[in-house]
Amino acid sequence: MIESPTLSPSLLPAAAFLLPVLAGILVLSLGRLGHRFCQGVSLLTAAFLALAGILMAVRAVRGEILVGWGNELRVDALSALMVLVIGGIGLLTTLYSFRYLSKGEMGERVGVVRAERRLALFYFLLLWFLGTMTWAAVTNNIIMLYVAVEATTLTSGLLVAFFWDRRALEAGYKYLMLLTIGITFALFGCVVVYAAAAATGGLGGREALLISEVRGVAEMIPHRTSLFAVALLVIGFGTKAGLAPFHPWLPDAHAEAPTPVSVLLSGVMIKVAIYALARTVSIFFPVIPQLTVFAVALGSFTMVLGVVLALVQDDLKRLLAYSSVSQMGYVLAGVGLGTYLGYYGGFFHLLNHAIFKALLFMSVGAVVYATGVRKVSDLGGLARRMPVTGACFLVGALAIAGFPPFNGFMSKLTVYLALAGSGLWWAVVIAIFTSILTMVALIRPAYRVFWAAPAGPADRFAEVREVPATVWGPMVVLALACLILGVAPQLAYGLLSRAAEVLAAAGG
Amino acid sequence: MNDLGFPVDLIRTLSLTMVITSVVAVEARRLRTSAYAYAVQALILVILLLSYARVNPALYWWAATAFVTKAVLTPWFLLRYIGKTQEMEVEPLIGFGPSVVVAGVLMIVFFRLTHGQVEILAPSPIAREEVFRTNLAVASTVFVLGIYAVLSRRDAVKTVIGLCLLENGVHLSLVSLAPEISETALFGIASEVVVTVFLLLYVIEGIYRVFGTTDTFRLRELQW
Repeated sequence: MIESPTLSPSLLPAAAFLLPVLAGILVLSLGRLGHRFCQGVSLLTAAFLALAGILMAVRAVRGEILVGWGNELRVDALSALMVLVIGGIGLLTTLYSFRYLSKGEMGERVGVVRAERRLALFYFLLLWFLGTMTWAAVTNNIIMLYVAVEATTLTSGLLVAFFWDRRALEAGYKYLMLLTIGITFALFGCVVVYAAAAATGGLGGREALLISEVRGVAEMIPHRTSLFAVALLVIGFGTKAGLAPFHPWLPDAHAEAPTPVSVLLSGVMIKVAIYALARTVSIFFPVIPQLTVFAVALGSFTMVLGVVLALVQDDLKRLLAYSSVSQMGYVLAGVGLGTYLGYYGGFFHLLNHAIFKALLFMSVGAVVYATGVRKVSDLGGLARRMPVTGACFLVGALAIAGFPPFNGFMSKLTVYLALAGSGLWWAVVIAIFTSILTMVALIRPAYRVFWAAPAGPADRFAEVREVPATVWGPMVVLALACLILGVAPQLAYGLLSRAAEVLAAAGG
Repeated sequence: MNDLGFPVDLIRTLSLTMVITSVVAVEARRLRTSAYAYAVQALILVILLLSYARVNPALYWWAATAFVTKAVLTPWFLLRYIGKTQEMEVEPLIGFGPSVVVAGVLMIVFFRLTHGQVEILAPSPIAREEVFRTNLAVASTVFVLGIYAVLSRRDAVKTVIGLCLLENGVHLSLVSLAPEISETALFGIASEVVVTVFLLLYVIEGIYRVFGTTDTFRLRELQW
């Protein structure tokens, strides 16, 4: 075990979420200066957020916990991991969006002239989305955690409906409605946790709001109240995380949003929700040991249902969205175990999924950008026309299927070992079976889209060209990250180990 | 007045009225009537908060916030968007008569259940005393009626009203469960509800223009 962390007062946690919010206001109020201004401010802000994530991660590995606003904000290794994911994927997505939004789906579904006018609104919402997700990752106040998670829904709601056509409006309505209903359960759960912690007498009124303090009195909370709170939290944050059976909003929203938003929804936002779930529910692991089996069972069900639904999809974005549901099952199965190795595997898979799902969505976005087609059955033979995109999609597909030497193999292996270590062999079998189905679900469309002969005339895609460098550049970075973390997983060990210890030490 | 200094009769009367306004908001077929019922409920919520605030002055701030967000802004948004879309609710899944019976049964059963089993919700001894016991029972009942509205209604605007009831139930429970909650958190919770309602109605207006209806069953572009 590593030595105990030290508390360091810092402005970084506050700056990390306030700067994107302020930059968003700047973009919206001065949007008339043109799209280059909006893009420049957004890129700089996302770069700052990525840098903040790196700084937080470095300090967390050194054993520091950054605190601000009287312990209201608290960045331990787990929060640092989340900020790193939000900042890193946020930066690459912002860069990816520059050319993508000028053509691609945006031009087709919104109209090029109208799209140009709406860019300021897009970047304003994007920055607030990044800011609110960061806020959720750094807050230590259980009620503000709900406020921040709900804020991520509000900032992304209009992004989901951004194209404002039939499909986008339907997806946007379902997204806002289902997530708000779900998250209201989470508010109820957070309030019950706070009330129960305050009633133990072990904490003052204000301290009972701080997640880090509530852990200390969890054993004094009545068993039935704990169970009730956990049920509310699982429904609330589970809906947001896309866990089955609360997932029906996810494929619609992730598929119909503009691709850069799909990247953030699938790559980052659902992780923020599982982070909130892990932070709050893990408080009760020591007092309700049965929770671990329930969490692993829920994770296994999510894995299987997600991949089965992914198998029958013809729309590439919906396929990826359902696969996200399935992969969140792995994260939950790992984290839900409540052991050090389980947390390690779960968080490692969370990090890896953020990388390869962002890569896969960006690759599919590149295909849509170049061809205007999303259906697997309508595509074919693109590898010769789009070699970089084809290679990137293949890397993402192999990584998510758990093929060595890519990162997905290492994190899935860790989850398998953690499950086996806890004696849950049935869950190991389900997880491996799901991995095989994932391979079929992803490799088959990869072959069809890039290497098989196209449907219809052979020269149907003769005019198709590889996407611009600002679109494929972020994809190549992510593909390299898949390989590097697969070959050298020890690079992430320091941060992941610290992150796992945060919950394992407190939760059991 | 009871030993804790609360006007018990007033609080009980207001609590009962609050439950009845929930049923009216759910059952009225004219959307404007539902919106007015919701506005009345919001005003009762504010008066209830003021009644509790005699003992816990922090609730004055909560009452002021609730007045602006729930009693003024939310009904205003609802009425404005009802004017832009349609006055009558799309026929719900369940007919008027059976629906009133279901709502009535839910109201009575859930109130009695939570009033009797309030210990699960309220871990502190004081929260089990009257009038907090009634407060939590009413909060849970309004919450359940909100869920019923969301599940049984096809009309998108009516579903938003159901969502508002759901939120009111949780917010009312804060009186007993989280009396020491900070002003910032209260402001965050209250303002998010208004923004949610505004965004949902904005999207629903778009749906009405594109689909020609606010019937959520007609949203069938995205299947599987």
